[in-house]
Amino acid sequence: MVNAFIILFGLTMLYISTTSRIISHIRLLIIQGVLLFLICCSGMKDMSILNIAFLVVETLIVKSIVIPAFLYKVSKKTHSDRDAAANIPHFYCLVVSTVILLVCMLLSQYYVSSIKLISHLFFGVSVATIIISLWLITIKHKIISNVIEFITMENGIFLLSLSVAKEMPILVNLGVLLDVFIAVYILGLFVNEINNEFQDLEVSNLSEYND
Amino acid sequence: MINTILIFPIIACILILLIKNKKFDMFMINTYAVVHFVATIMLAINKNCGTRYFAVDNTNLIFLIVLSFIFLMTVIYNNGYVKTFNYNNYSDSRIRNYTLMILIFVLSMTGTILSVDLGISWVFIEATTLSSAYLIYFNKTKHSIEAAWKYVFICSIGISLAFVGIILLNISTGNINSLNFSELYANAGSFNHSWLKLSFVFMLFGFGAKMGLAPVHFWLPDAHSEAPSPISALLSATLLNSAFLVIVRIFKIMTLAGCTNYARIMLLVMGFLSLFVTAVFVYHIKNYKRMLAYSSIENMGILTIGTALGGVAYYAVILHLIGHSLAKSSFFLTSGNVLELFESKRVKSVNGLMSADKKTGWLWNLSFLAICAFPTSVLFVSEFLMIKTMILQKHYVLCVLFVLLLTIILYGLAKVVLKMSYGKLSNDKKQEVLENKKKITFTMYVPQFIMLIFVFTLGFYVPDFLNNIINTVFTGF
Repeated sequence: MVNAFIILFGLTMLYISTTSRIISHIRLLIIQGVLLFLICCSGMKDMSILNIAFLVVETLIVKSIVIPAFLYKVSKKTHSDRDAAANIPHFYCLVVSTVILLVCMLLSQYYVSSIKLISHLFFGVSVATIIISLWLITIKHKIISNVIEFITMENGIFLLSLSVAKEMPILVNLGVLLDVFIAVYILGLFVNEINNEFQDLEVSNLSEYND
Repeated sequence: MINTILIFPIIACILILLIKNKKFDMFMINTYAVVHFVATIMLAINKNCGTRYFAVDNTNLIFLIVLSFIFLMTVIYNNGYVKTFNYNNYSDSRIRNYTLMILIFVLSMTGTILSVDLGISWVFIEATTLSSAYLIYFNKTKHSIEAAWKYVFICSIGISLAFVGIILLNISTGNINSLNFSELYANAGSFNHSWLKLSFVFMLFGFGAKMGLAPVHFWLPDAHSEAPSPISALLSATLLNSAFLVIVRIFKIMTLAGCTNYARIMLLVMGFLSLFVTAVFVYHIKNYKRMLAYSSIENMGILTIGTALGGVAYYAVILHLIGHSLAKSSFFLTSGNVLELFESKRVKSVNGLMSADKKTGWLWNLSFLAICAFPTSVLFVSEFLMIKTMILQKHYVLCVLFVLLLTIILYGLAKVVLKMSYGKLSNDKKQEVLENKKKITFTMYVPQFIMLIFVFTLGFYVPDFLNNIINTVFTGF
């Protein structure tokens, strides 16, 4: 069952790469948060109560409710409906993302499966998520899209940390700090401030400073 | 003592929020600077008072001393600097947040330095971004928003990648469930080399982004030039060192695991790339604070190259770290005076600095001489030792490249500093500058002079106690 959740998580990245509507991106963040919670549930037998509580707060509350709600509020306030002017058409985005996902899963199947400490499916999907997110950051124009891709990257890192979480749960807890950090700073302070200072939330507004 | 350094700022922040008085804010930050300095001296005398996650060891002691001294000097300067704020534009809460964030920023850097656990170091490095982003954004202009955004976004991605590196390191360690450096050092021989090498790449890029190493340095020129001058000094002279300490510790794991050559090549590539980037951009620089920021990238590159070379270069690295921190903070603090006098960061808007304000002019020129390794600056000794090491190790091509890039950078810096220092001011401009000069108080000159005296003295005389500390740092590489 957990494998199905991981594959679904990988598929959400394909959907994110093909859509320009900000609201769809936010919905997918909610789905990713819920999927991460379900994935965490599968490994809860070996964890302490404190860790379980930490993971529930992290996945269900922070990732599925707080951050998406915050993003929804920001997108409404800034009238950011869609990021239509991406550098690469959606079809090619889908092809590239699929290739990344496929290559990562195949590589993890052949090279990583020999190591007992990590699950190869976890590893393949999480690495693919990180790479796809980093790539999407480079091709999107809206600041809010960049923030969303950054959060999906962070979800990928969370999934990667879960692949070795049974060995060292403190790593997962450290990941929580990263989420709070993003929520407070990038979303709350800067997106609103940038919106107050500039007419629209385009990345190009923030490239005046150069040598 | 460690608890005092780490808990004091938290209590100070709570008190500042409760009391809400400008004079009390300044009192608390000054007290913390003194407490930090005294506690550091006590820790240098008696190292055996560590906790599970924080301790003073041979490696981090010198980093702590540098941080403590620079912080003290910056706070002295800051006492005069806050009086230059236009209180019509800055609300009380904004100035209070400025003090609070400095306290949290120094706390997080101290935490990074004192931490003996990679996970805790990572958390504190993240905390430095959180606190310093507000300080960079303090002026609330379009440019400061851009600088703060780039800083937060690039450093966040960098920190995330460093976290991936930590996870990969965890995989490479096999059954060892700890990120404590001493345990990692003790078991490094049994680590899986493939995973370790991969984790090193991620951690080097992640923490290297925070350290300002090329090609992940893009935030640095913007952030350093937009932040208020005392913050620029702290960013350049202490934050970059904190990230460097983490890289030094990771490098030691690589050495003990038998992957030294791989790590050295990576460090050399990033070090020379940093020098190259600085040489390219500093040549036609238009903003003098950005020039200083690029100079920080250059010096971080030199530290990285020294670490990669090994041997005597380790001694040079520590000398360079001390010298750069002192000289660069002096340079940045003096740039605050220049900005106050001329109200512009553009090189072409500033000339005749020596005639406008002799003290600032001398500080500007002496800081330049210190940073460009003019004898008896301690940077001369460190760079000379690095060149000597390259020749002894028969890296002749690297040596030529190193000297060539440093010469280009020196030319770029000299061109700007001399243009700003000399020349004639128009009468109108002179009146304006003289009016602004009244805002510069005594405390905005003294710290730079003290730091420059240290820089030029350490070039020919290193006291025994400092020499002993530097020699023990060797074990950390």
